[in-house]
Amino acid sequence: MSAILVYISTTGGKIKRSSLEVLSHCRDQATKNNMELAAVVLDNDAAAFADQLQQYGARKVYTVSNPIFKSHLNAPVTQALLQIIEQVNPRVFACASTEGTKDVLGALAAKTGGAALPDVANFEVTADGVSALRPVMAAKILSQNTASGELVLVSVRSGSYDATESPTVADVTDVAFTPADFAAVLREVISSTGDKVDLSEATVVVAAGRGIKDEEGKKLIDDLAETLGAAVGASRAVVENGLFPATAQIGQTGKVVSPELYFAIGISGAVQHTAGMSNSKVIVAINKDGDAPIFQMASYGLVGDLYKILPLLTEEIRKAKSA
Amino acid sequence: MKFTVCIKQVPDVYAPLQIKNGELSMDTDRMVLNAYDASAVEEALVLTEQHGGDVEVVLIGPDKAKETIRKALAMGAAKGHHIHVEDTHGLDSAAYASILTAFFEKNPTEVIATGKQSQDTDSGLAGSMIAASLNLPYAANAVGLHIDGGSSLVVKRQGDTGQEMLALPIPCLVTCSNDMNNPRIPSLKGIMASKKKPVETHTLEDLGLSLATVRDSVKTSTISYQEMPAREAGKKLEGDAEELVSSLMNLLQNEAKVI
Repeated sequence: MSAILVYISTTGGKIKRSSLEVLSHCRDQATKNNMELAAVVLDNDAAAFADQLQQYGARKVYTVSNPIFKSHLNAPVTQALLQIIEQVNPRVFACASTEGTKDVLGALAAKTGGAALPDVANFEVTADGVSALRPVMAAKILSQNTASGELVLVSVRSGSYDATESPTVADVTDVAFTPADFAAVLREVISSTGDKVDLSEATVVVAAGRGIKDEEGKKLIDDLAETLGAAVGASRAVVENGLFPATAQIGQTGKVVSPELYFAIGISGAVQHTAGMSNSKVIVAINKDGDAPIFQMASYGLVGDLYKILPLLTEEIRKAKSA
Repeated sequence: MKFTVCIKQVPDVYAPLQIKNGELSMDTDRMVLNAYDASAVEEALVLTEQHGGDVEVVLIGPDKAKETIRKALAMGAAKGHHIHVEDTHGLDSAAYASILTAFFEKNPTEVIATGKQSQDTDSGLAGSMIAASLNLPYAANAVGLHIDGGSSLVVKRQGDTGQEMLALPIPCLVTCSNDMNNPRIPSLKGIMASKKKPVETHTLEDLGLSLATVRDSVKTSTISYQEMPAREAGKKLEGDAEELVSSLMNLLQNEAKVI
């Protein structure tokens, strides 16, 4: 039986939600196409995730445990994934599109001779490959792409599918792995203060745009985020002017997020930004320009002065949370 | 240090566009230097201005794309390489990477730099494909570069939860984010000087390839284009701040049930 192999990304001792979304979709695709669903996880302690992967329907689980996976480094990730791909010989290799997987997808394609479809909004396994939709031209339109061949590699945008459980019992294989000598050396990982909550995994995001003009405005954003337990995001404009760190940037050139609740505050809604958040479930927009394009996609749009609205909103949420 | 920057001529993605019968049509034929590649050129220029060395650029495309090589030369690059492929239609990342791999096998350099992705397709594959094919250490999505002692390139890259600082021994490859810098606008002097700078033309045959072998390396194709599905607009609320907050709280708690 041919297989779909899903590469599972972890962060802070947890499987990324976006990886579970891909695994859930691949389970449906495997059932439809009479294929086997396999998952591979690389982590300092990869075996710890095997139970959860069975809950989501993986029939084969490959765990590769090594301290080298504590921080991201492309060479050992590529080496380990090539080893598992050789062992499983899948027709489709799928993963969530993250900065970590973007770093290795091309190398995996080049080394395996497989076809790569990166950053897709959805995909279907077909008789001779994969068919997928990808946002292109600064996320203004979608292109329908096909890839054929013995192996197709796909990375999927966060929020494209729901993560749903379907428990099964898997064969779990702990794979021996010896990292090669790598030329590149990781010197340090610099976490910015805005990283209290991992933005791409957050269930609530408070994002600031050009309407936030100063430190006072930034404090209103931080207060609301803290009250909600939310991650802080930002549009390119307020990253460029130095108010928010580059790690917070959401959009076509930044992160793609898909939280349950997204606050777009002082964000006009240019496509370069909305490309990174349009999969959010509930969108709240606050902007004083009632004609701002963000209102065309917001679940709830508030036309008004964010400097007046935010303190009241934070206070009301604080009351609601403590009630 | 010698930098060779892979650059691409792309349509201006901010120009209006339409889809007719699944085909893409742009209102203008304006072609530009890929913005991410411009950041790679800029960073290579800054580093060689500080530490010495040369910046060359390489581009795959038709004769018309030479204007984009001139743009990079006007910014300050010393030499251009034009890999002449008159019809690039249908070539994917794998095909571009195979051509550039063959180019670098014949034209070795110290640092290969390029944009993290092309702004028309946003694929972001070619960089790590070339590095893997040439067995070079690489880093993707760099937001800062500096040279350490002449033997390694220190790369700050934007990762998922923070920034990672890597030291890559030379030769190596790096893909650049547009968050790295603001590419310079060529000066009039730079534009005049660019006209005298050398542009070497390479054919696929010069690189030991042919259009047929390159077309064989294509692994993906674009079938058609379609509109982005629009999200439905919800409720737009107006009023004073207190009314707005009270209505929103009611909706978040009782309708969306997210708080």
